Amino acid sequence: MKLPLSWLKEFVQITADPDEISHRLSVAGLEVENIERHRPAFAGVTVGRVLSVERHPNADRLSLCEVDAGQFGRFRVVCGAPNVRPGMVAPFARVGARLGGARKSGEAPVSLDEVAPLQAAEIRGVRSEGMLCSGRELGLSEDHSGILALESDAPLGTDLAQYLELDETVFDIAITPNRGDCLSTVGLAREVAALFGLKLKLPKIKPPAVSDGECPDIEIHAADLCRRYAGLPMGGIRIANSPAWLRRRLELCGMRALNNVVDVTNYVMLELGQPLHAFDLDKIQGGKVVVRRAGDERRFVTLDNQERELRPDDLLIADAVRPLAIAGVMGGLDSEVSDTTTRILLESAYFEPMTIARTARRLGLRSEASYRFERGIDRQGQVTAISRAAALIRQLAGGHELAPVRDVEPEAALRREIDLDLRRVGALLGVDVPRAEIRRRLISIGAAVHTTGKERLGVIAPSFRPDLNEAADLAEEVGRLRGFEEVPERLPQRPAQIITRDPARAFVARTRDTMLGCGLTEIRTIAFVAPEDNRRFPGLDGGSPVVVTNPLSTELSQLRTSLIPGLLGVLRFNLNRQATAMHAFEIAKVFHSTSDTPSEGQRLAAISYGDFIVTSVGAPPIAAGFFTVKGILEAYFVSLGIFDQITFAGIDTARAPYLHPGMAAEVRLAGKMIGVLGELHPQEALRFELSRNCGLFELDFGALADYRHPPRAIEAPPRFPAVRRDLALVLDRDVPAATVIGTVKNVQEPLLESVEIFDVYTGEGIAPDKKSVALSLRYRHKERTLTDEEVNRAHEALVGRVLPLLNATMRQ
Amino acid sequence: MREQLEAIRNRAMAQLGDDASAEQIENVRVAVLGRGGELTAIMRGMREVPAEERPAIGQLVNEIKRELESRIEALQERQQRARMERALAEQRLDVTLPGTRIGRGRSHPLTQVAEEMIGLFEAMGFEAVATQDIDDDFHNFSALNFPPDHPAREMQDTFFLPGGLLLRTHTSNGQIHVMQRRQPPLAVICPGNCYRRDELSVRASPMFSQIEGFMVDRTGIVTMAHLKGVLSEFLRGLFGAATRVRFRASFFPFTEPSAEVDISCVLCGGGGCRVCKHSGWVEILGSGMIHPNVLRAVGYDPAEYQGFAFGVGIERTALLKLGVDDMRLFFENDLRFLEQF
Repeated sequence: MKLPLSWLKEFVQITADPDEISHRLSVAGLEVENIERHRPAFAGVTVGRVLSVERHPNADRLSLCEVDAGQFGRFRVVCGAPNVRPGMVAPFARVGARLGGARKSGEAPVSLDEVAPLQAAEIRGVRSEGMLCSGRELGLSEDHSGILALESDAPLGTDLAQYLELDETVFDIAITPNRGDCLSTVGLAREVAALFGLKLKLPKIKPPAVSDGECPDIEIHAADLCRRYAGLPMGGIRIANSPAWLRRRLELCGMRALNNVVDVTNYVMLELGQPLHAFDLDKIQGGKVVVRRAGDERRFVTLDNQERELRPDDLLIADAVRPLAIAGVMGGLDSEVSDTTTRILLESAYFEPMTIARTARRLGLRSEASYRFERGIDRQGQVTAISRAAALIRQLAGGHELAPVRDVEPEAALRREIDLDLRRVGALLGVDVPRAEIRRRLISIGAAVHTTGKERLGVIAPSFRPDLNEAADLAEEVGRLRGFEEVPERLPQRPAQIITRDPARAFVARTRDTMLGCGLTEIRTIAFVAPEDNRRFPGLDGGSPVVVTNPLSTELSQLRTSLIPGLLGVLRFNLNRQATAMHAFEIAKVFHSTSDTPSEGQRLAAISYGDFIVTSVGAPPIAAGFFTVKGILEAYFVSLGIFDQITFAGIDTARAPYLHPGMAAEVRLAGKMIGVLGELHPQEALRFELSRNCGLFELDFGALADYRHPPRAIEAPPRFPAVRRDLALVLDRDVPAATVIGTVKNVQEPLLESVEIFDVYTGEGIAPDKKSVALSLRYRHKERTLTDEEVNRAHEALVGRVLPLLNATMRQ
Repeated sequence: MREQLEAIRNRAMAQLGDDASAEQIENVRVAVLGRGGELTAIMRGMREVPAEERPAIGQLVNEIKRELESRIEALQERQQRARMERALAEQRLDVTLPGTRIGRGRSHPLTQVAEEMIGLFEAMGFEAVATQDIDDDFHNFSALNFPPDHPAREMQDTFFLPGGLLLRTHTSNGQIHVMQRRQPPLAVICPGNCYRRDELSVRASPMFSQIEGFMVDRTGIVTMAHLKGVLSEFLRGLFGAATRVRFRASFFPFTEPSAEVDISCVLCGGGGCRVCKHSGWVEILGSGMIHPNVLRAVGYDPAEYQGFAFGVGIERTALLKLGVDDMRLFFENDLRFLEQF
């Protein structure tokens, strides 16, 4: 909302400087976003009257004019404007004036410092002592077809900038949705008066002239949507341009001037906050105005000549035959005020905020009027506003009332009295406010207050403040008007008490630490992906993707089912910026839909590409791949103390089609699948233009966090030495290492402490379909040192059982 | 016998000259002191020595033995030292070459800032509770006193999902979930992601994160003064003890009174600069006393309970705290940016 300071000053005698006003409004909840300071594009221009006009002796198109510039005297001026007439009041630039208006159409005004002062000049042999100016020369408009006509009563010799209020300060104020009342100059003036302890002077409204003509009947058929409708017919209208002061104010407030009638309706809306509409009275058929729902009406042409589609619940203003306007949103093409209009019907109504909001939003028609109706206008302001508009139209368009205001209100507004317990104000604000101050503050915003008890006030909120409904609302008014800086700072008094810590948060922190320690950097990606991403990178859950009903774009139309595409996107982004390696992880939510119900899950995913460990200069680096990411996972599971419950197994490729089918594994926790790891499928690598191996994993983080970790049993280190025996087996090439280890462990030799694979060999000396696996077995007894004989016995027995189980032989 | 011993000693000592090689030394050791060495042989033949000479001969043998051993030890030690010195002279690294790089990842700047913020609230007795991103209209809007079609809903352009669900537009839904599950007194924060229909730009992102916080107790216990106390303490903890905090009246559907909170500009300290648009203040969070309608929506009696609530954006806080001016940096994940943290 734009608020010109000069307009504000009509209603409140404020002398504080604009910065102070801005500060006080801002801390009281009316945030001034900007202070515009307007300065005229000219200097030394006064109001002058053309006394006489004669032909220039030496030029047909020029005139010689005598100009009366009040206290500055009379001047002879050469003028080329075709519209100059005796008696005309116009801007007169005296010798020494500076004109910064555009020289040519479409150009911007020039800075006054760069403009040379006007000099007296000989024009075709006649001396000209000054100049009559066009709108363009003064930077006031684009018009250069003639000199600018001022109002005939403009005081001669007055500085034009002062007369037109061009030295202006305009506050640009952000109005929160609860403060519809402040979408008006008077509403803001009331706030300023309340904040500075000043008196509010409301605009004087001349009562309408008495008349007894006909007014169309007004019927409200949708009393739930239209609470009140006032109509006023006026005749004798002469449509013309509005005077400069009015046009200027509309423009300062960001509205365009059209003609005197429409401008007046807008002016009153800006002044009082009540949107008004003017119909051409002669286009209203059947002598009545009906406020009704659209019902079967399907289409309507608005005054911008657009056909609009209606819904049955849209509220319309109609006559006996057809719709005239979409209530509170936009008028119709057929009934709008035109240049030939002589009789009008003014409308001033209260429409329900929600109905206007719905219709305006659906049609994409947000007008100054709908904006105000949506936020709730003064429930009782209709007649005042229509009278104010009528007075201005009488003054500016020569009109007169044809009949008294017809005011239809099916049900009178409720008088809302709030029972205010004064202790409540102190309890909320944390500071005691004296009763007298509470009273004074509430009265300053227009409330009626009376005492109802020792600690109680009865407060009737003003009709323009629908946001004041209960004690908390009044406490806020008192608090914000006196300033929240008056509220002391206090820390809560609470007993010393250990706060509960969410174990899930601790688990995230622990996981993050391990990942960071393994060299992975944490990244954050946005949860929206393209359908293509979800198709190529199905999540662990298998459900279908969640589709956003109103996405920003197709590229962001679904919620991710997996973190992998995001990680790959970030990799590509960095490679495009000359990175050669990236090792990163993300802990974030993914989403999927089961039987059309969206739900969310948490994932831990990582990507590792390029050199993983850079050794010293000259030594080969270790590149990222399946085993480096697997190593990270192993380190993670060890850190969680669940490594012995984890297994890695071959993967169903449909589960992770983006992984290399021969270099991918499923991760299982206590036999249950909790994730996948592997290298990126060469086809995807091609798509992302990756030249090196790319390791990936994704885990169901929620399942991991929820896993009930068995309590850890801590043992002292063994006191007796272990004995190592190595074993080289030759077995079928496709027997996995995990099977070999598992088979050895399954023998359950009591002395066997651990078994590890330390080499796998294929090639010379081994049949092509076989491989050699070298195992290291450690034997130990808890209570004594083992003898060689004991170990040999145990080892041989174990080998004897393992060989047939694995269909293996000892390597020779 | 004595002469024989002296001869052994002299010969051995002659062979153990300063320039004796390691091999020569070993030869002497084996030939004289070894198991089959000369001295050992003499000791073994001691029975043949007359009994009265035995002590003297024995003593002499031991003397020679000790002398040779200490000579050998001295020579070996000298040689070892020489070898080490030779090696030390040769073994020289260019210590300015880089070391073997064991990667260390960086946590995301948003994580770092969020954890610091959460830590401050935890230190003041708030409990962090995780809540859901996908929610319904009730928890995200209605219960928070946003009536249907109310213009306040447009302050937050919502992403809708099938089944009447939506992506939460703020973490305030956490307030409703927690209050529905528990009874006061409560001091809770709900950190998490939120979503609004904004294109990714310098100032906005369709996904961002917030920390919602609230404290509820019986009427009069937790007041606006406590809201000011807790938030001022938090902001001074986060931005430094000299930070000034200002509470400005504002509007949020779910609080009444509502206040926006500004801090003195982190860049200029209040003098006026580009960051604070020359006002000296920057907006940091929204807050207020929980609206009675919100309390009603979760089944609390507003005559019995009251409390405060606030919401603070993590990205915006991080921008201010880190002194960067582009939201996109957080979601692009340019390693050259991330590696600075």
